[in-house]
Amino acid sequence: MTTANGTKSPSTSQPLLPQAAQSLVDSVDAFLFDCDGVIWKGDKLIEGVPHALRALRSLGKKLVFVTNNSTKSRKQYSRKFTSLGVDVSEDEIFSSSFAAAMFLKLRNFPREKKVYVIGEEGILEELKQAGFSCLGGPEDGKKKVELKTNFWFEHDKSVGAVVVGLDQYINYYKLQYATLCIRENPGCLFIATNRDAVGHMTDLQEWPGAGCMVAAVCGTTQKEPIVVGKPSTFLMDFLLERFQIDTTRMCMVGDRLDTDILFGKNAGCKTLLVLSGVTTMSDLQDPLNEIHPDYYASSVSDVVDLSDSLTKGQ
Amino acid sequence: MLMTRGVSDAFLAVSASASSRSPAPRALPTGRRFFSALLPPSSSFSSSNRHFGPRRRLGRRSSTMARAAAQRLENVDELIDSVETFIFDCDGVIWKGDKLIDGVPGTLDMLRSKGKRLVFVTNNSTKSRKQYGKKFETLGLSVSEEEIFASSFAAAAYLKSIDFPKDKKVYVIGEDGILKELELAGYQYLGGPEDGDKKIELKPGFFMEHDHNVGAVVVGFDRYFNYYKVQYGTLCIRENPGCLFIATNRDAVTHLTDAQEWAGGGSMVGAISGSTQREPLVVGKPSTFMMDYLANRFGILKSQICMVGDRLDTDILFGQNGGCKTLLVLSGVTSLQMLQSPSNSIQPDFYTNKISDLVTLKAAAV
Repeated sequence: MTTANGTKSPSTSQPLLPQAAQSLVDSVDAFLFDCDGVIWKGDKLIEGVPHALRALRSLGKKLVFVTNNSTKSRKQYSRKFTSLGVDVSEDEIFSSSFAAAMFLKLRNFPREKKVYVIGEEGILEELKQAGFSCLGGPEDGKKKVELKTNFWFEHDKSVGAVVVGLDQYINYYKLQYATLCIRENPGCLFIATNRDAVGHMTDLQEWPGAGCMVAAVCGTTQKEPIVVGKPSTFLMDFLLERFQIDTTRMCMVGDRLDTDILFGKNAGCKTLLVLSGVTTMSDLQDPLNEIHPDYYASSVSDVVDLSDSLTKGQ
Repeated sequence: MLMTRGVSDAFLAVSASASSRSPAPRALPTGRRFFSALLPPSSSFSSSNRHFGPRRRLGRRSSTMARAAAQRLENVDELIDSVETFIFDCDGVIWKGDKLIDGVPGTLDMLRSKGKRLVFVTNNSTKSRKQYGKKFETLGLSVSEEEIFASSFAAAAYLKSIDFPKDKKVYVIGEDGILKELELAGYQYLGGPEDGDKKIELKPGFFMEHDHNVGAVVVGFDRYFNYYKVQYGTLCIRENPGCLFIATNRDAVTHLTDAQEWAGGGSMVGAISGSTQREPLVVGKPSTFMMDYLANRFGILKSQICMVGDRLDTDILFGQNGGCKTLLVLSGVTSLQMLQSPSNSIQPDFYTNKISDLVTLKAAAV
């Protein structure tokens, strides 16, 4: 953080030692968890997570899952949790796919307009549930373009918004379709579910995130998107409505500084960085890093393993 | 009823470093040693991974002096007599897709008959110089390979200029033109159109390998763009120490066919910037790398050059960065409205409808 005279001071993040863990658990009514790199990596649960979640629930803490990964809808995420043996209901989950649909709803996006999607099933499902008509999605991953004389690439003039999220089926057809909509359909919105550079889409390594697809569309349209996922605090409004808890009594637990931790700080929550995902200790301590979480720990299970009331209670 | 905190307020994308907005091209002070504009302070290949920070810019913006508004071209003779060399962009200036723009052959002939040197500088990296030479020939224009400077060639020339080791490999997100130029320059490459057929499976236990010997990733326009390539390029840049991230160009859109605009190299480069959170070294316009190269090659003074193009933020900025005269043609991606828009800050010296005006206006003046 920058001090009064403008110099950078070392990180003020504290390691989550026993006393701090106890104090954190006492002062927080709701824990907000990121998913990739915090709860699971790909389809593999991170060690100690089910136990930690159960322990926190037993203390009466609310658990909320706020994920930028737009490939699934809230319903699909709930099913993923169930398949991994963890009990989480749909209304405890706030995905960026849900955020995109809610954004359009709150803006009274006209029902006769369409939404072009560079992204996966999660976005399509949330949009359909909210009553919007979509084009694009994984299907367009199979389409090719022919750059030949007199070839004309059509696009639907009634597309009023382009939503871009993580898309493993990204291709030139989709880039061109989105580009034409944003550049040529008057008033067409450019919405990004999130801009994460990379994430743990599988357990073994990091993969390019939505930040890649979004930047590709920025590159052709020379426009910046409206970002509905972290670090934007858009989703916080829904959490506040649902849980009626002051943000100072919430703790955001995540593995990315520029999305999870920034989201937490922007909203006035306490913040805990876990090193089980994309961020390493050296990233946190890098002098160029300006985002300092209140605490850091190796993983979610530290919150309960280090906390007196929870360890003693076993 | 949801408690909304002014929906619009919540949308400020307050991400600290994740933004990968296309950098505003910056002009170089004239008289800089060539290549130096492109190179970071330490130009050795072994620069560390962190060398190119997220906000790296090439060169600096020219003085804050505002340029006068572009004048419609009228006195053609004065312009032609004041320069020795005409540099032409290709897409939107000479042709659109595979169709010659009206009046081009006559214009080139006229300029040659007046003893002017003609050079063609294109950001389109899909073809090599040799392949462009054939395209010109197919369209009935006599232009030799040595007069053509494509960004595909620029990428290879750049690697040569920094003595990129021949035992290192280059991963290419781009098309045949880049591969051919790298081969000509003696470099080993991976990737290219072939990788367009490769699929990935985001399943437990699936691990994507990458060659740790890749020392540079070159990114340009790629119609076979896919997630496999993005991941491969990302792994090389993030994990191979000192791996360079080179962009042939960052054009947003381009006339790849005669009928409409198409998403350009700016989208592929943007994608890699987005996943690596790094800015690339750009070898194509508006970077003056190619200008410095050809000025040196032909022994030309830059003040004796007129740059003719259809894009403000590549062609015209390229010309201005190099200290040349600049002529915008409205036969490509830029309209008069865009030129005259209050949000446009790039003013060429002159503008006209198309290059054949150099002939018709001249004739009218007689």
